[in-house]
Amino acid sequence: MQEVATNNQKSNKKKHDAHSQKEKRGKKLFLLIVPFVILVLLFSYYPLFGWVYAFFDYQPPIPLNQSPFVGLKWFEMMVQNSTQLHQIGQVLANTFAMSFLNILTSFLPVLFAIGLNEIRNKHFKNLIQTLTTLPNFISWVLVYSIAFAMFSSSGMVNELLRNFNWISEPIKWLDSDSHTWLKMLLWSLWKGLGWGSIMYLAAISGIDPELYEAGRVDGANRLQLIRHITIPALMPTYFVMLMLAVSNFLSNGMDQYFVFQNAFNLQHIQVLDLYVYNVGMGNNSLSLATALSMLKSLVSVVLLFVVNWTSKKTRGESII
Amino acid sequence: MKKKRLLFLATLVASTALALTGCGSSGTDESKSSSSKDDGKLMKVTIYDDLANYQGTAKGWFAKIVKDKFNIEMNIVAPNVAGGGSTLFDTRSAAGNLGDIIITGAGGGRGQKLVKAGLISDMTPYLKDMKYIKKYKGATDSLNNVIGQKSGVWGVPDSVSSESPLSSSEGTEPTFGPYLRWDYYKKVGYPKIATLEDLIPVLKEMQTEARKENPGKKIYALSLFKDWDGNMMNNAKQPTCFYGYDELGFVLAKANGSSYQDITQSNGEYVRALKFFNKADQEGLVDPESSTQNYDTMYAKYQAGDALFSFWPWLGQAAYNTTAHKEAGQGFMIAPIKDMKIFSYGSTTNGTQTFIALGSKAKNKQRLVKFINWLYSPEGVSASGAQTGGTSGPKGLTWKIKDGKPVLTDFGKKVFLQGGATVPKKWGTGSYTDGVSPLNYPAVIANDINPETKYSYSYTLWPSVLSETRTKLDTDWSNHMSNASTTMDYLEKNDKILVAPGASYVAPEESSEISSLRGQIKTQIVNTSWKMVMAKSDSQFNSLLKEMQTTVKGLDYAKVLKFDMKNAKDQNKARVKIKKEYSGKDK
Repeated sequence: MQEVATNNQKSNKKKHDAHSQKEKRGKKLFLLIVPFVILVLLFSYYPLFGWVYAFFDYQPPIPLNQSPFVGLKWFEMMVQNSTQLHQIGQVLANTFAMSFLNILTSFLPVLFAIGLNEIRNKHFKNLIQTLTTLPNFISWVLVYSIAFAMFSSSGMVNELLRNFNWISEPIKWLDSDSHTWLKMLLWSLWKGLGWGSIMYLAAISGIDPELYEAGRVDGANRLQLIRHITIPALMPTYFVMLMLAVSNFLSNGMDQYFVFQNAFNLQHIQVLDLYVYNVGMGNNSLSLATALSMLKSLVSVVLLFVVNWTSKKTRGESII
Repeated sequence: MKKKRLLFLATLVASTALALTGCGSSGTDESKSSSSKDDGKLMKVTIYDDLANYQGTAKGWFAKIVKDKFNIEMNIVAPNVAGGGSTLFDTRSAAGNLGDIIITGAGGGRGQKLVKAGLISDMTPYLKDMKYIKKYKGATDSLNNVIGQKSGVWGVPDSVSSESPLSSSEGTEPTFGPYLRWDYYKKVGYPKIATLEDLIPVLKEMQTEARKENPGKKIYALSLFKDWDGNMMNNAKQPTCFYGYDELGFVLAKANGSSYQDITQSNGEYVRALKFFNKADQEGLVDPESSTQNYDTMYAKYQAGDALFSFWPWLGQAAYNTTAHKEAGQGFMIAPIKDMKIFSYGSTTNGTQTFIALGSKAKNKQRLVKFINWLYSPEGVSASGAQTGGTSGPKGLTWKIKDGKPVLTDFGKKVFLQGGATVPKKWGTGSYTDGVSPLNYPAVIANDINPETKYSYSYTLWPSVLSETRTKLDTDWSNHMSNASTTMDYLEKNDKILVAPGASYVAPEESSEISSLRGQIKTQIVNTSWKMVMAKSDSQFNSLLKEMQTTVKGLDYAKVLKFDMKNAKDQNKARVKIKKEYSGKDK
């Protein structure tokens, strides 16, 4: 009896030793990720604390703890009447439309990369690539000053057209509300096209040259090589990039729209982020702006569920 | 498993605590900073100044006077320069230290908030021998009323005055007025202008004439800008001032309390002004860059003579009426619109709603209060004043006493009448205009009488200057304006001015609901106003107006308007009250 008991104890102890060793290693491994956990908490979760401002009547410099608690007042204000709803609707429409246009045109960098790759003259190719990549490193503020110098009513383009006597009145490129979405798309394409194609150029250089040789041996011409080798080889990269673009659907940047906004195009240029900024900083209603910005999270969650549901229906497995 | 979870929780708590420490600790440690003794050493003073148009360390002759007198180096924080509306105020005040000296408005509850958040301190303990601050006890008490304090001196309002509140606070020129390029007006034969709309054909002729004379130059009769748009399009408010109105929120209130208009009403003065601009635009009189340019760009056009109409003397005249131009008969002068009745601010005995205050975190508070006191002394008022206010400058530099009367020195004449000069070494470096007080703070109205000279602080009203400034332009203008000596003289003689009694009315704090609504509404009003001005046809103009009226109605405009309307009427009550107090006899 006693022997059995000690044996049992021994094996227990052994088990325990192994267990504690495992635990130690687990701790060590956990320590490795601690910095990242902290970062995520700091930058992704801690800011959520700011949501409390949406439930108070916060007016600087009165500190939050002395501000009156107002409950859901700001949320009620957002949906109070049809004009308010209409405004939010317009803002969401702008956000969706411009994001959607960006996604629709996301194949352009692919085509550009393919075209670039087909240029035989190396110097010319490098020149083109540098020139198209450069705009990406110019801030939107500077892009706007370029736009202003060229397209304002006394800018280069208007002056040129007037000197040729083609127009008598300056064309209002910047301060009018015609085709605002399209204009914004063109600006962002001009800025991002070269940079966006870099990933695909890298992917192209990774394609096995033997495939091309084999193709040529089989008598394929250049277009056929592109059609049957390059494009299929680029597709995985393209879909990864597309996925990333979709996940950024709501954060389509605000600096571009911020610098281009004016009294005339505000109705169609105001995306969600810009709207939150204008309400919070421009109109000094920080609490209302906080409530509005929560809308973004709400829409994101809805979008996520929709995508997940679609994925489940079409592929039979969910993303989350 | 449990331990892991514990560890995780621990890191979470630790990191949150770490992050939170950055936010707290902005409590009141006032006693610590103020108790240390003043050693008289050079002190860098941060001045938060809503009026300043200059940011950074002050330089030039005014800065030198302040440094020599108080050993203070002024570092100006200017929201006007930084841009972004009240963002700078919000962030600085949320951080718990707005500045060592604070110049800001008390309106809309801001004064109350400053006290509640412990950002400004009571000057009472430092007021021994501060006779100029004490002199304006009425003003400091009226500020206390506004900010809800029973006693103490929490700040001193600006533009205080010893003149009658029923007389205009403006000098020889009013604040608002239709100013035309007189030389072109002369060239087209001094046409009669019965009312505002009659300006359009006149301006059109003038523009044609000006373009004929300067081929290749892009001259437009009107050049607008958007920097100062607030509750409404700022430029469109200006013509309403020609008819005695001024804004208060979304209300236009007449100076004598006889009329209050909602700015969106179709037959109101604001819409009339928009229509006026639109008509002018349809006639090709409005600079197409109006909607994109800022004040500086536009000012440069006035300087270059590319604009022919100005809403304000301190724009057109300041930019273009140099002595050389005036001698040649060129320059901006007020136009004789027959039915105008220009709004004029009465002298504000108790100051306006802007005030200067002592920051709670400031060091050497006694010295700072001495500085504030000096700003209200005759010496300080002469030397500082607002940038466009026309105070005489420091005695000895720009003016002196001759036969008991103040006269400009040769240097003063160069500076004020002939377009500027560099200050002598003794007074510092740089040009005189670059060296004026960057505070842009008119402690006392420039029209007030300097008790030391018995003449006004403003050199423009001195007899010695009035007799000297008559140029070809002035003479020609005077001949066609029933021989008036100055603009003010013309307006007063012809009953074309409406003085709003100088009551120190400050709008009360508005609830955050109203200010949120106001924010959304004013965006609509300002943007649609610009669209209306640039409308291609009358029908487009009208449909935009209708659209604006429906949108703001949907945004609960009525609620905000009711609030503003009440304020406008309260303001008038204050005006009536001060009128009674001063004209004692008429009951």
